[in-house]
Amino acid sequence: MYPARIEHYERPQSVAEALAALGRFEPGDAIFLAGGMSAMQAMKSRMLQPRCVIDLQDVAELQGVTREHGALRLGAMTRYAAIAADAAIPSAYQALRDAAAHVGDRQVRNRGTIGGSVSWNYVASCMPATVLGLRGAMLLAAADGSTRRVVADDFFLGPLETARRDDEILLAVEFPAPPAHCGSAYAKWGLIKDALPVVGICVMVGLDDDDKCVSARIALSGLADGCQRASAGEASLLDSEGDEQAIAVAMDAIAESVETQSDQSADADYRRQLIRSVGREVAARAFARARGQ
Amino acid sequence: MKTISVTVNGSVFEEDVPERLLLVDFLRDRLALTGTHVGCTHEGVCGACTVHLDGEAVKSCMMLAVQADGHAVTTVEGLARDDRLSALQEAFARHHGLQCGYCTPGILMNMTDFLTGNPDPSEDEIRHGLIGNLCRCTGYVHIVRAVKDAARVLRENTGGAR
Repeated sequence: MYPARIEHYERPQSVAEALAALGRFEPGDAIFLAGGMSAMQAMKSRMLQPRCVIDLQDVAELQGVTREHGALRLGAMTRYAAIAADAAIPSAYQALRDAAAHVGDRQVRNRGTIGGSVSWNYVASCMPATVLGLRGAMLLAAADGSTRRVVADDFFLGPLETARRDDEILLAVEFPAPPAHCGSAYAKWGLIKDALPVVGICVMVGLDDDDKCVSARIALSGLADGCQRASAGEASLLDSEGDEQAIAVAMDAIAESVETQSDQSADADYRRQLIRSVGREVAARAFARARGQ
Repeated sequence: MKTISVTVNGSVFEEDVPERLLLVDFLRDRLALTGTHVGCTHEGVCGACTVHLDGEAVKSCMMLAVQADGHAVTTVEGLARDDRLSALQEAFARHHGLQCGYCTPGILMNMTDFLTGNPDPSEDEIRHGLIGNLCRCTGYVHIVRAVKDAARVLRENTGGAR
């Protein structure tokens, strides 16, 4: 299928040029193209019909992974393949690698970017829930030169909706320096291997010196309302040692408290069961990583 | 319309293209390189249109031709050197890694890239690498065998892929 007619193609060399190009069009008439793994599909289906495509491939400021005092910053154009291969990502943020290594297929991972995925915020995708679970923050820039940081809890507003304004560009996804004894993991279940998540779960836990859980974040993907925190499970894990029983109780609490939908991929009860089974495996892995195993 | 300059299989092509033209259609319709196939009507799920963009396997139906401006593209026509098939192509022939052949160019391009980063892959790694390529004939058994054998040949002959 051909994409909708495109009148203009811009390839800016800097963030300033990208925002200037955006400013030449009415809101919604120009789109940023990152890896294009969602946007190209949307242009072919006519869900997106931009007059102008602004291709971000040459913008150096959006590239690269940097680490400073334990904090991690992934440029918006960082590709899944690069994240999956990045052995220097700390145990606290291993969920990023879990998720990136199983997005789609090799060809998709060679093109798709973390910035494109979180900006698109599709319900059945891995990165938004992972970034939410890992308390990431989105660094946004506007044409007047101002920047702002929006934490994931405030950034993901609902399916295909984010707090990014029409005149803003996503520069990077940032993760704060994690405390000691912190681990995370992500896994999903899809209809075929590495397919879009019918259910995906990100778990991040922090332990004290006695291996007791002092912080827990859990985020889900694949649900109709979009990526979301699972607060019932988070509260349940606190003060536990992440043993099998504690994890099972937490995942039961999530399965019973979240609203799951029935669709062609799975019915609502099956999704609850997936939350239990995938969640147990993910949480056990997050605890093991937090313990340094 | 936009004028683009793309290096395809080592030759530079300068063409005026509409902004909406997909890279796969540029290769097939403009350059007559019809070895790159369209399997899923450009939906990005079958992998038959896989080519190399600066050496990396990508689906050419998921890119605009204008995005390839200034880049190097390799198609299946570019795998053979001096009329000699690549080690992977020879392994596909040896192990009957194809039946109808429709998916084969995409698989060759994806697995050529795969083998450069994974010179000694396990069967599981090969199967994981093949997720983006649909084959409706073979059941993949002979494809996996061919990739594994090509890896062996490449290790023995060159000490690495290609």
